Amino acid sequence: MTDAAMDAPAATPVPAPRRDFGLKRRHRAEAIFRFFGVAAITIGLVFLVILLWSVVSKGYTAFVQTSITVPVEFTAEIIDRNGERATNPRVLVSANYPVIARNAVARALGVDPDDKAAMREVGKFVSDGNRAILREIVTKDPSVIGTTRPVTLLASADIDSANKGQIDLGVPEKNRKVSDQQLRWLDQLKDQGAISTPFNWGLLTFGASSRPETSGLGVALMGSAYMMLIVLCIALPVGVAASIYLEEFAKKNRFTDFIEVNINNLAAVPSIVFGLLGLAVFINFFGLPRSAPIVGGLVLSLMTLPTIIIATRAALRSVPPSIRSAALGIGASRMQMVFDHVLPLATPGILTGTIIGLARALGETAPLLLIGMVAFVADSPSSPFDPATALPVQIYMWTNEAERAFVERTSGAVIVLLVFLALMNLLAIVLRRRFERRW
Amino acid sequence: MSLDTAPAAATSPARTTRPKMTGRKVCVFYGDKQALFDVDLEITANQVTSLIGPSGCGKSTFLRSLNRMNDTIDGCRVTGRISLDDVDIYDPSIDVVELRARVGMVFQKPNPFPKSIYENVAYGPRIHGIVKSKADMDELVHSCLRRAGLWNEVKDRLNEPGTGLSGGQQQRLCIARAIATRPEVLLMDEPCSALDPIATAVIEELIDELRENFTIVIVTHSMQQAARVSQKTAFFHLGKLIEEGRTEDIFTNPRNKQTQDYITGRIG
Repeated sequence: MTDAAMDAPAATPVPAPRRDFGLKRRHRAEAIFRFFGVAAITIGLVFLVILLWSVVSKGYTAFVQTSITVPVEFTAEIIDRNGERATNPRVLVSANYPVIARNAVARALGVDPDDKAAMREVGKFVSDGNRAILREIVTKDPSVIGTTRPVTLLASADIDSANKGQIDLGVPEKNRKVSDQQLRWLDQLKDQGAISTPFNWGLLTFGASSRPETSGLGVALMGSAYMMLIVLCIALPVGVAASIYLEEFAKKNRFTDFIEVNINNLAAVPSIVFGLLGLAVFINFFGLPRSAPIVGGLVLSLMTLPTIIIATRAALRSVPPSIRSAALGIGASRMQMVFDHVLPLATPGILTGTIIGLARALGETAPLLLIGMVAFVADSPSSPFDPATALPVQIYMWTNEAERAFVERTSGAVIVLLVFLALMNLLAIVLRRRFERRW
Repeated sequence: MSLDTAPAAATSPARTTRPKMTGRKVCVFYGDKQALFDVDLEITANQVTSLIGPSGCGKSTFLRSLNRMNDTIDGCRVTGRISLDDVDIYDPSIDVVELRARVGMVFQKPNPFPKSIYENVAYGPRIHGIVKSKADMDELVHSCLRRAGLWNEVKDRLNEPGTGLSGGQQQRLCIARAIATRPEVLLMDEPCSALDPIATAVIEELIDELRENFTIVIVTHSMQQAARVSQKTAFFHLGKLIEEGRTEDIFTNPRNKQTQDYITGRIG
């Protein structure tokens, strides 16, 4: 203003013309960018909600199981027809327990034992899996033979579905899995108070079975747990040691550059390739057992290594160089510098990377298919060398089953897997908060 | 060859003139680039020697070559001879760990460890095995904090993190940490550049007191600071040592035109 006054003292002060900074255009560009950002997040959230909704709505019923509590008569003639259980205990194992279960329910329903057709219907009403339940009672305490006591039996998968309202009753009876007679019996038992739907512990403890009501994730959980343990024990120390060496000790030259490029490439190798490697090296060359968590754990360790190395190197690099100078300046050796000062500061980053890597390994399916972990395993593995499956593989196998009861179990298994993944990520966050330090 | 052959106590009458460290034809290269050219400089025992000069003149490089901190930089190479009590510190038989315990360093930016105040000071003596018992360690930590002029401010919170102190306090903590390993020479790389004038005055006073027991080399951008704290001054320019001498002489009667231009503010 003063300049203008000096240049033209006589003229009245003219307001300077507004300069065009292109503000409109810039604001518009920003608004468009913001819109796309919000839209992208919204779309992401919508898909997440749809995914969770479809899984939970289909899967939550898998966590309860329809059960029938009736007085069961442990008939001696059926269990041990020839009275030889004192000399030959194996008769107690191989006895025809499903008949006992059928008879118990038939008695509760008032079905005539001589009505062969009706009795067959009752047989389909209860699960064949009651064999194991009753066998356990009898073998544990043979004195129950000849007595009657209340036992909670499993309903068959179709009755379970009907009880959960998953059978479309509009379909003609002969096209249905459940007959009108069975539905009437279901209502009759409900009126007697014999039907209950307790939490389905079997889903978390049973092994593989062709009957939905007796199949569970027990073997898969054990297999996954063994594998995670192996991955943790192998990939974490090896990965951290490799990163510390590369980052703090190795001279930067062509060779270390080459290694770095290869590690980054390894992180991008499709997991099925690691499966092939495991098949060729661990099973064919070293002769490790097939379908075993030890092999799965080794393969997943190889797969997780690059992730852990990359995360650890990033964490080490984020430690300020001034801390290193401080340690070296007072005469710490390189080793003391790393382990006393750098590593503690890098710990949160290392732990986060490790848990993210583990979570990825937990959800990995493809390499396990190649090393034979996609198997029908009924017995819980007692060591990592016994056959087992893994959580995601079990989901994959159940998806291929046709029965309605397996559909809800598949979704139930997905929920279990997601819960574990969420817990692991939560742990990562908690650990990071805990160890985070400022400098 | 061991560094322990050096005379330990500095009680002889000639203590003020005996060179503690000597550089002869020191050249430093970063890769292909030469940063220092044939520097000849003597560091006198129990004196403060200040290195001044414009940015990038090589004064910090020279300082860092005195305790081989340059070794940590990839591609850095030092030729010539630097000796501590007449022992070549670049001799292959010299262990840098021992060297750095004897030639301590305080950095430009205060860099306390993200640990407790106590632990910051105790770390050096512990790794070097200087003290045997917990009581001796307490004693040493307390005396170092006292000598660094920090004791009264931190005596009630020795277990709090050193990173929670103010900038000036942090720098004094770093000095306490550096003197805790009982070095013979203390290198200071612009120790006050991140501090306010009051904290700077405290540190300068401290440097003057520490001169009693240590030989100090300080890099500084402030000519007033060099004049205030040092007995000897060396002026570097473009990687060469232009002039060195008693601080009074350098500031009142420089022999070299470049030195005069710099201290009067015409270059730099």
